[in-house]
Amino acid sequence: MHILETRKLNKRFGGLHVTGDVDFALTPGEMHCLIGPNGAGKSTFFRLILGEHLPDSGEILFQDHDITRARPFQRIRQGLSVKFQVPGIFKELSVRQNLVIALQHHVDPRMLPEEIDRLLEFLGLAHAQAQLAGNLSHGQKQWLEIGMAIGLKPRLLLLDEPTAGMTPDETHATGEMLKRLNAEGMTLLAVEHDMAFVRQIAHRVTVLHFGKVFAQGTIDEITADPRVAKIYLGEVDA
Amino acid sequence: MEQTSRIRRILALIEGPQTLGRGPRFWSGFALVLLLACAYPAFADSYDVGNNVYFFNWLFMALGLSLIWGYGGALSFGQTAFFGIAAYCYGVLTINLGDAYGLTLFSLLAAVGCSALCAAVLGYFLFYGRINGVFLGIVSLSVTLVLERFMAQTAGPEWTIGSARLNGFNGMGNMPSLTIPWPGGPIVLYPDLPLYYVTLALLIAVYLGLRMLVNSRFGNVLVAIRENPLRAEMLGYDIRRYQLMAFVIGSALAGLSGVLYTSWGNYITPASMGMTAAALPIVWVAVGGRSDLTTTLVGALAVLIVFQLLTIHASQYALVVMGALLVITVLVAPRGIVMALVEATLRLSRRKEAR
Amino acid sequence: MVDSLNLVFSFLYQFGDAFAFLVLSACGLAVIFGMMGVINLAHGEFIMCGAYVSTRAAHAGLPMPLAVLAGAAAAGIAGMVVEWVVIRRLYERPLDTIVATWGISMIVTQGVLILLGPSMQGVGTPFGSFSVGGYSYSVYRIILMLSAVAVLAALWLMFTRTRFGLLSRATIQVPHVAEALGVNTNLVYSLTFGLGAALAGLAGGLYAPTMTLVPTMGASFMVEAFVTVVVGGADIFLGTAPAAVVLGVIKAALTSWKGQLAGQIGLLIAVIIVIRILPRGISGKILRERA
Repeated sequence: MHILETRKLNKRFGGLHVTGDVDFALTPGEMHCLIGPNGAGKSTFFRLILGEHLPDSGEILFQDHDITRARPFQRIRQGLSVKFQVPGIFKELSVRQNLVIALQHHVDPRMLPEEIDRLLEFLGLAHAQAQLAGNLSHGQKQWLEIGMAIGLKPRLLLLDEPTAGMTPDETHATGEMLKRLNAEGMTLLAVEHDMAFVRQIAHRVTVLHFGKVFAQGTIDEITADPRVAKIYLGEVDA
Repeated sequence: MEQTSRIRRILALIEGPQTLGRGPRFWSGFALVLLLACAYPAFADSYDVGNNVYFFNWLFMALGLSLIWGYGGALSFGQTAFFGIAAYCYGVLTINLGDAYGLTLFSLLAAVGCSALCAAVLGYFLFYGRINGVFLGIVSLSVTLVLERFMAQTAGPEWTIGSARLNGFNGMGNMPSLTIPWPGGPIVLYPDLPLYYVTLALLIAVYLGLRMLVNSRFGNVLVAIRENPLRAEMLGYDIRRYQLMAFVIGSALAGLSGVLYTSWGNYITPASMGMTAAALPIVWVAVGGRSDLTTTLVGALAVLIVFQLLTIHASQYALVVMGALLVITVLVAPRGIVMALVEATLRLSRRKEAR
Repeated sequence: MVDSLNLVFSFLYQFGDAFAFLVLSACGLAVIFGMMGVINLAHGEFIMCGAYVSTRAAHAGLPMPLAVLAGAAAAGIAGMVVEWVVIRRLYERPLDTIVATWGISMIVTQGVLILLGPSMQGVGTPFGSFSVGGYSYSVYRIILMLSAVAVLAALWLMFTRTRFGLLSRATIQVPHVAEALGVNTNLVYSLTFGLGAALAGLAGGLYAPTMTLVPTMGASFMVEAFVTVVVGGADIFLGTAPAAVVLGVIKAALTSWKGQLAGQIGLLIAVIIVIRILPRGISGKILRERA
């Protein structure tokens, strides 16, 4: 059984094939990274999974349910969650209020304050809970959004460049945080550029190129693959 | 036991992150204002008291607009449409049904319900069509302008519903006032003391009710949608449904204003839905500070009183001043003038405490 | 046979009349919306300004076409002043801009009432009428239809052939890039707002002979202008013009069947339904299919 599966997923913008016949499957409990040069279709692939865009053809299955045409909020309620690249938080609201909004839907109101305290502790944001979210540092905003995303207790967490703009220390700490979540049973799928980070967390890696699955394997297999080096790592070095 | 803790939890929503005004200081101020409002008729002519109910009549529409625009972030320029729909409904119903047996109260509910229903239908098309803020504003404004023109051409005798003549441009009159059936003879709510207290009580109830609503889970989501709709949707909320609900509640309140106004003056005209009429609620709410119920209430009341004084002493300039007030607010204090004053005071007092 | 030809002509005339009104009342609004993402709620007041100035000019003895152009120019200058005093400070806040333009609209409507009184002497519709199959038609209405087409053609030329058109399109699509390339985006915005206002003034000047001149006359153009822009979306050629065609048919059919108001109500209902089906308007639809 797969937790997420796409079959021949196609999306065109105008004449441009942004994703072409993407067949992709994710095993439960996996930490999977999606890499590829700019314009490889990674973001579009994410948006298709989330329902921000609808595919021209193909299917998306989540826990064996067809969610190809489901609205985004319905997918979230089935156990999907996302952390965006640019922190998607409620800037004018307090840090605590941000988490309240994320959690109130499925946590018993009597348990809510405790649950939020625990999450604030986990994120290292307990001291900042009364601040406006817009006043946090960039790294803290990223963590807050991760907190909102995991607060939904998702089966599958999608992360779009979760460490963008973080210092190396913050990046490492984020990686360890994600590993802890994975150990608790959450499946993770991340788009990432930072190869050190990919090496830190990924069980398996998929390379997208021109909207197609180009290669798949462990990070060692991928880095050893000369074709990948040519299209992707070559670009990074250059 | 379970019951009381639940009630306590609901009451606790009166204070919360989505409303300014917390703690003993605010509530003692609130009690003082309330006391003054209750005592006011003792110091004034009952004719004036009845007249001044006029100001209260509009505040329901202002609070509703604060909910839709300030909290929900949806630009609704056509609240006067729902004001007018309820006003005309009330007129037609009461002229036909009369004022016995509490039928005026039934008419009130039916008229407000009619506004809510119209808002639900219109809102369904708008919010489920996912149009952006700008278009929502101009479509809702178009609705009220077309309604105005429709009502303005109903002068002929063929525009009669039962025994109620719509009477076109000149407006419909002579509908009975709200009447409460009472053992010792019905209480007719003419512009006089009873009406003053009933309207005041209604206003307090709506204000406190809305405070609870915006601090509830519903209010949290509504504010989240204003701040970042995509994130709100990606937390599993059907944002269209929340926006629609806020729109319906706010429009029902506009309808309530319409009924109260019509019952108060026994008169309603199509001009109440025109371009100028539609602009005024925007001024009240923007000047006060639309993103908070209390600043909206204070601001709307202040603007209404200023407008009324201008109308008496320099009638022609009243609208010019309103327009200028709107432009200046947007330029100088985009979050509202009352809001800016509150924020400045808070900052000052915090600085004092720090010292 | 002759009767049905007469009917066809009558419908075409009605359609042309509706089309002209929709195009002329909307194009100024659409130019500003397409460029700045802002709906100018003082649009009706620029129309009124055009109507008043052109009527004054006509009374002063200026020939009709020049009087209309004078109205357009006056509205254009007024527009640039408004842009300079108010709109410029609000570029980062498009929704606030809309609210501010409403304030301006209130000031102008009431200000004109105070300064110039409740109404102004009109000039009367020129050119008389002609008749086809027993029905009589106004020559001036035909001129209005031709003007609408001419305005569209002129805008087309302006946006595709002139330097201003090129720069303004660059500014719409990628403002920061345009700025980096040394385009004075402020000037482009200012000119665009002026152009939108001038087009509104032109509509006012053209329709002045057919209407009663009162300070609130602008409001009677607003519903048509709004619905055309909502259905058309942000692009004047791919949006406004086709929208005016579609809406013109609806309006003409309903107007000839049930009168002026039915036409307007029909327009509004059509728009609300279109929103549900095509949230980004006709131009969104066309652009997506073409792209």
